[in-house]
Amino acid sequence: MPDSLPMARIPDSIRQDFPVLSRIINRHPLAYLDNAATTQKPQSVIEAITRFYETSNANSHRGVYALSEEASELYEQARGRVAQFLNAPDTHQIIFTRGTTEAINLVAYSWGRSRLQPGDRLLLTEMEHHSNLVPWQLVAEATGAELDYVAVTAEGHLDLDSLASQLAKSPKLLAVTLVSNVLGTINPLRKIITTAHDHGVLVLVDAAQAVGRVAVDVQELDCDFLAFSGHKVYGPTGIGVLYAKTEHLDAMEPWQGGGGMIAKVGRDRSTWGEAPAKFEAGTPPIAAAIGLHTALDFVERLGVAQIREHERDLAELALGRLLEEPEVTVFGPRNPAERTGLVSFALAGVHPHDVAQVLDESGIAVRAGHHCAQVLHERLGVDATVRVSVGVYNTASEVHRAVDVLAEVRRLFL
Amino acid sequence: MSKSLYRDVLLDHLRHPRFSGKIEPADRSASAYNPLCGDELELTLALEGNCIREARTQVRGCAVCVASASLMGELLQGVSLSQAETYGALFREAMTSGELSSKDIFSLRPLLEVRKHKSRVKCALLAWNALEECLQNFQTTS
Ligand SMILES: Cc1ncc(COP(=O)(O)O)c(C=O)c1O
Repeated sequence: MPDSLPMARIPDSIRQDFPVLSRIINRHPLAYLDNAATTQKPQSVIEAITRFYETSNANSHRGVYALSEEASELYEQARGRVAQFLNAPDTHQIIFTRGTTEAINLVAYSWGRSRLQPGDRLLLTEMEHHSNLVPWQLVAEATGAELDYVAVTAEGHLDLDSLASQLAKSPKLLAVTLVSNVLGTINPLRKIITTAHDHGVLVLVDAAQAVGRVAVDVQELDCDFLAFSGHKVYGPTGIGVLYAKTEHLDAMEPWQGGGGMIAKVGRDRSTWGEAPAKFEAGTPPIAAAIGLHTALDFVERLGVAQIREHERDLAELALGRLLEEPEVTVFGPRNPAERTGLVSFALAGVHPHDVAQVLDESGIAVRAGHHCAQVLHERLGVDATVRVSVGVYNTASEVHRAVDVLAEVRRLFL
Repeated sequence: MSKSLYRDVLLDHLRHPRFSGKIEPADRSASAYNPLCGDELELTLALEGNCIREARTQVRGCAVCVASASLMGELLQGVSLSQAETYGALFREAMTSGELSSKDIFSLRPLLEVRKHKSRVKCALLAWNALEECLQNFQTTS
């Protein structure tokens, strides 16, 4: 097998932008293949955050002095950058949160608690991450609404017949992931959202595994809500985004109260400002927002289309090699065009944690477990899987290294 | 063998788990679950007076979890309930300190290797959590 891909879409020199990639782990160069969990950070992002603390740190929105105005402006510029990246019609539709999880909880709380009544239905899918599942369970519990699930096919696609019959029950909302964090499946959401809207069903999109990896355009998707996390697109932790249509933001009540979100505060009651402030109580994560801004610049410089090709090539390589390995079951679509750069598999007779541990001893970081998708693992009939997930800096030789170690795993355990 | 965590003893227990399975009906039983990795086990005890006549563990888990349950099984056969409790306490202490303070649990020594991998310590303790629960049941019902 060749060590580099036939057409390198992203040059290996990109690795020099990522200081952590020079680490030696267990006497081997680090091969970081857990990018679906979080990506490493390029120097530009690290520097942007440092520069903010070194030159512009102040609380935003609170001061009239220059530094505070600068901080506010940088924070708002980050919001503008996100709006542009997602092609949102208006900047005020971008709410900063701590991550995907908090964005979904915001909707479940603010929208769900006021909209849902006993007997109302919410539609999820069997491939949702716990963060697009548990918030809905909580709101269902609180309101008496009921949950339904769109089934997943054996190959790891959403079952469109199941979707159709579930939509016929007129749920109030469909909460669905754009890309599965276990199967890698890219769901055909444009079509699904159109169908859902035809049934009068709102759609929330979990784009945690999608932003920066496949094109995400909220106007083209026509989704009602969309959430993603900064740390999965080369940005820092502690920052995420909720996009929502203006009509929903206007109708929703705040979910947290505090400074920054109010219009006027009295002793007994207060009134709120407009979105996004209405949903951002307290001092915001200014440095993290600036880091996200820089990360999106980084992604755009490489080009989402290039990243997509690069990751698809590596996924194809991983898929091809894993399918040739004895005792290995690979999950998700066989066609690399239908999936992103993550591949989950099981090795018969060896627990995924043991596989991951032996890989770690060769400096290879992969994830093992249920990947916060227990409903899906139940559906797949396994307790846990091993997941290899690539990012812009991964190389074909790293994928080869990971698969090569499986022979050693078998020797050890089988 | 270079893979230090999986020393020969642990691998042997993984391949040939001792006292695995389930006693039915059991005098005491407890399940333990690790939500982080989905590992699951059930410990069943058959008692004779204050002694464990037989202990069996049914495990669905990783190598460390299986080997730890197997090693525990070897220790528990025929010992008194209070002895079992002491073993549990000694093992926990050893997993924290890295030192075996008693020869009685010398056979558990290979498990101490797991301490180097913080995320796996829970796997080694899972069977012992079930044991603790079994013994607590015992204390409250007797
Ligand atoms: C599909 C999906 N949704 C949601 C999340 C949650 O993201 P976060 O933990 O950043 O809130 C993740 C990642 O952990 C994910 O992969």
